[in-house]
Amino acid sequence: MSCEIDLKAYVVGEATRQERGMVEDHVRGCQGCREELDRLNLTRAALVSLEDEEIPRRIAFVSDRVFEPRWWQTMWRSGPVMGFASAALLAGAILVHGFERAPFVDAAQIENRIESRVNARVVAAVNEAQAKQAAEFAKVLNATKLQREADLATFQQASEYYQKQMARMEVASNTGYGQ
Amino acid sequence: MIFREVEDRDLIAKARRGHVEAYNVLVSRWEKRVFNYLLRLVGQREDALDLSQDVFLKAYQNLKKLDDPAKFAGWLFRIAHNEAYSLLRKNRPEGEMTVEPKMAEASGGLFPIESTLAVRSALARLSDDHREAVLLKVYQGFKFEEMAEILSCPVSTVKSRLYTALDLLKQTLAPVNTGGAE
Repeated sequence: MSCEIDLKAYVVGEATRQERGMVEDHVRGCQGCREELDRLNLTRAALVSLEDEEIPRRIAFVSDRVFEPRWWQTMWRSGPVMGFASAALLAGAILVHGFERAPFVDAAQIENRIESRVNARVVAAVNEAQAKQAAEFAKVLNATKLQREADLATFQQASEYYQKQMARMEVASNTGYGQ
Repeated sequence: MIFREVEDRDLIAKARRGHVEAYNVLVSRWEKRVFNYLLRLVGQREDALDLSQDVFLKAYQNLKKLDDPAKFAGWLFRIAHNEAYSLLRKNRPEGEMTVEPKMAEASGGLFPIESTLAVRSALARLSDDHREAVLLKVYQGFKFEEMAEILSCPVSTVKSRLYTALDLLKQTLAPVNTGGAE
């Protein structure tokens, strides 16, 4: 048969919808392919007429406890079970914590305690600031004092120089030098 | 009370966790198909039954290796194929070929043949590979791609085997009516 058409794929249900349409169109006009298709359909019908036999003995397996994993092994190997157990444990812990009796709290006492701590911190901070300020002041005072001493020394030297100059001029005028 | 159909994947999941009873339900769903596939492949009822038990035992032992439970059928038939071919290789000496049907015997002048005996006989004359292609496609309804996975061969090989088998079976089961010329 020279026709390029896959009749077997059509018969065994592997042809696409389009291929099925092509086969059906083709066999309408091609006697050879129509006869071939009839034979293939007969073959398939004969094959499927063969009924399945009943199995002589049912197959069943029994559990052997010696080889079965223990309950904790089964649980340990099961991710979802372990996850659920962890979540349940966590939920239980939260619940217990929530119902646990809270200790008696005196709000006034806590307020006083906080206030005294704040006051102590404020006093310490003020003292620290004052000490820093005093140290700065002393430093500036000392520097001023040193500057003043240096200025006095300079003034004294200048004064001595003028006195010497004045004395020289006086001697010169008395001796008539320069006349 | 709500009833719902328990699907294979539910049973597989339970069986994987060690529920033997769930696996037994799964076996009860598939044992007839597997047994008939093996029976038509190896031809001996006792062998087919022994192989079926081996197949389901191996499947249970390797159930955790099944990646996709949706592919259970193909995976199970792959085990069955391997078990059957181990037996066929053991029973059949190397080089011995299956008897191909002869035209004279095949035609037999019967048209159409609907006899169970004739179909069995026609299938038995096919080679193991050709017969298996017919069993997986016509009786088990697998697609070419699934058959290729079961048989570990390309789709082209699967098609070639099936088409050859159909040609051979056609000669036996639907011979050309030549008006008694043969």
